[in-house]
Amino acid sequence: MQIVSDQRVFQAPEKLISGLVVRLRNHVLWDSLLIFFPPLLVSIYFLTYLYNGAWITQVTFLLLGLTAVGLLLIAAMMRYRPLIPSVRLVAGLVDQRTGAKDRFMTLATLEPSSCSPPLFSRLRLEASGFLDRIEIKREFPYKFKRSFYRSAVGSAVALVLLHGLLPVVQSRFHPVPASEQVRELAEKMTQRPRLAYLAPDLRALAAKLEDPKVSPQEKQIRIEETQKEVEERQKKEQQKDDRDLLGQASSMLKGLDQQSGSGQDHQKDQDQGSGGIQSNLPQEGQGEGKQSQGNGGDNQGELNAQLSKEMKQGNSVQGDSKEQGGAMNQQSKGDGKSRESNPSKSDGDKNRETVGNTQGRSQETGGKDKASEEIPKGAPPTERFYRPGEQGKEGIKDGRYVTVQLPEEITADSKGQMGSGKESKLSRNPPKIPVSNVPLPDHVPDAPTEKQQMPLEYRGLIR
Amino acid sequence: MEPEKFQETFARLEAEVRKVIVGHDDVLRKALIAFFAGGHVLLEGVPGLGKTLLVKTLSHALGITFKRIQFTPDLMPSDIVGTQVLAESNGRRDFQFKKGPIFAHVVLADEINRATPKTQSAVLEAMEEKQVTVFGESYTLESPFMVLATQNPIELEGTYPLPEAQLDRFFFKLVVTPPSPAELREILQRTTGAETDDAAKVLGQDGGTLINEMKQLLRQVLIAPPVEDYVVRLVHATQPSSANGGASVAPVKQYLRFGSSPRGAQSVILGAKGNALAEGRVHVSYPDVEKVIYPALRHRIILNFQAEAENVNADQILAEVIKQVPRN
Repeated sequence: MQIVSDQRVFQAPEKLISGLVVRLRNHVLWDSLLIFFPPLLVSIYFLTYLYNGAWITQVTFLLLGLTAVGLLLIAAMMRYRPLIPSVRLVAGLVDQRTGAKDRFMTLATLEPSSCSPPLFSRLRLEASGFLDRIEIKREFPYKFKRSFYRSAVGSAVALVLLHGLLPVVQSRFHPVPASEQVRELAEKMTQRPRLAYLAPDLRALAAKLEDPKVSPQEKQIRIEETQKEVEERQKKEQQKDDRDLLGQASSMLKGLDQQSGSGQDHQKDQDQGSGGIQSNLPQEGQGEGKQSQGNGGDNQGELNAQLSKEMKQGNSVQGDSKEQGGAMNQQSKGDGKSRESNPSKSDGDKNRETVGNTQGRSQETGGKDKASEEIPKGAPPTERFYRPGEQGKEGIKDGRYVTVQLPEEITADSKGQMGSGKESKLSRNPPKIPVSNVPLPDHVPDAPTEKQQMPLEYRGLIR
Repeated sequence: MEPEKFQETFARLEAEVRKVIVGHDDVLRKALIAFFAGGHVLLEGVPGLGKTLLVKTLSHALGITFKRIQFTPDLMPSDIVGTQVLAESNGRRDFQFKKGPIFAHVVLADEINRATPKTQSAVLEAMEEKQVTVFGESYTLESPFMVLATQNPIELEGTYPLPEAQLDRFFFKLVVTPPSPAELREILQRTTGAETDDAAKVLGQDGGTLINEMKQLLRQVLIAPPVEDYVVRLVHATQPSSANGGASVAPVKQYLRFGSSPRGAQSVILGAKGNALAEGRVHVSYPDVEKVIYPALRHRIILNFQAEAENVNADQILAEVIKQVPRN
């Protein structure tokens, strides 16, 4: 008779099976938890990202985190329960490893009271003889399953995608403050020895933009000063990298400038309630501005939105030749001031140049200016500015004169009450005819006798 | 009885029969299992393979009475079970029951398919009830009782194939195959020489008691519920009808007309128990079941015309059933 060790005597075959059942059950539990652990980490990372970005509050963060953990546990339990190994299965595994020919399975599944005791005792004795052929820890170690690796890889891919997509989403729904952008620009300037002297000005500008006590007018002036400084430096700069950086700074500042103007104009429109439209030329300026933005172009919309909120209390400065003409447009800068306020003026070559620039650049900007997109490419731009009844080379059919009504204060300026500085530029060459795209009164002095229908391409140019 | 005693006796019986019979080890083992399980065996094989000799030797080794009935078309039931004869004793004439050859421990029904169905059915009651009824009076057969019937798979002209009801009463259907060249050489050496060996009696005077104990022990062999479930699934899988979840195995649906009866499952379980004991184990394992499923079910599944036309036999279908039905 084989002498079995004390451990073997103590460890009956049934105990071995029950112990193995517990062990394998734990393995399955770990498997189930580990499968869902990487997705949970990604979820928590995502939530933390949202929380740090102030997208969600702390309470929401906690709630979502707890929900994620709860869902993980539920999913793990749903996966775990059907996979719990049965005693029969485990006993079969032991039989397989020990070559016991279903002895353990019979022992584990048979009810002792329903069978012959001598035979059952004999079977237990026979099974005990196989116990030394198996060691649970060695035969059934825990190993990471393939499902875990798949889950980990999938979660890693999801993490990378999130990293790639979150900044895009964040920039779309949660723009960076303008002051932060200016500050970042200042940091870049600091790293360029030749441009480092501009950094303090930019930092000061950022501080002003953040300061709620500073009036929008002051902000506007500060922006323009800084922009001038940057543009002057850009003209002198010969190194391409520095010039590009300056161009970027100029574009950003121009965007700030324009938005401050549009924000104020919007407010003014609301205040007046007249819906008067001053000119269609500001869009030319915007088109040029976008053209010269360079790398900073993507942030234009963010800046616009940001500054529209910040400066909605300001006065209208729209019509300023600086923001309309654009610093980068050297060709139209000098003489464009007198043209912009009166697009209908037949100024010959100058007018042609301005409009030509606008159209060409609008096309280059690839759809940023919707109004420009609507202009048909067939006829020369100047033909659109013929007076009603005049014919161009090919003639304009069914054209209609566009009348624009200036606000009262600008009309007043045009009568000799022009202020100094930028405001005076606004009222230069005011139209003699009060114009508007609102329904015309029954009788307008000096109104054109001939009425033409407005071409479609002008609709986008008029606000 | 101790399992070791069973195994020893079983081994001695096999050894004694092997002194006379060359080969057919599997047939011999299955026949012994059927004997200790209380079943009857149908032996099928061409003439001259030693079927009759096997049965005679087996009964001799067991030390129990043996009778042989040669079934012919004109054999009458009374020729098997016995009849009332007019006998005179003490000046009086009385009808006395004259026992037929069925009254023996082991009955060899040679070429059983040559007798008419009426005669064949006379064996039915004896096989199932272990008793015969003559003129309204029942006579119990001796225990142990076993019918070993043989039939020839060829020369079917003028034969009466056994009806399904009668086939179902056979515990096993064993196919006796021709010997291999080595076995044939051994047969020639043993039977054509001057001396021939005879099987010795393994069981002595108390053979009947010992056989009964062995039969009881066989039924006590442990069988785990999963193994029983496996048997149930196997037998159920032979049902060609789709009712109750049958016909899960494609060949069954295609080639079978009827599946196994519950008796088939009983035979499988008891045969598996006998096989386990014969191998020295007190519990049934899955291989035990798979070893006995062929002799236990091959005569219980009824092939259809397509199977016969395509020369598909029952063993092929059973092999497919075993292959497709999972153990767990």
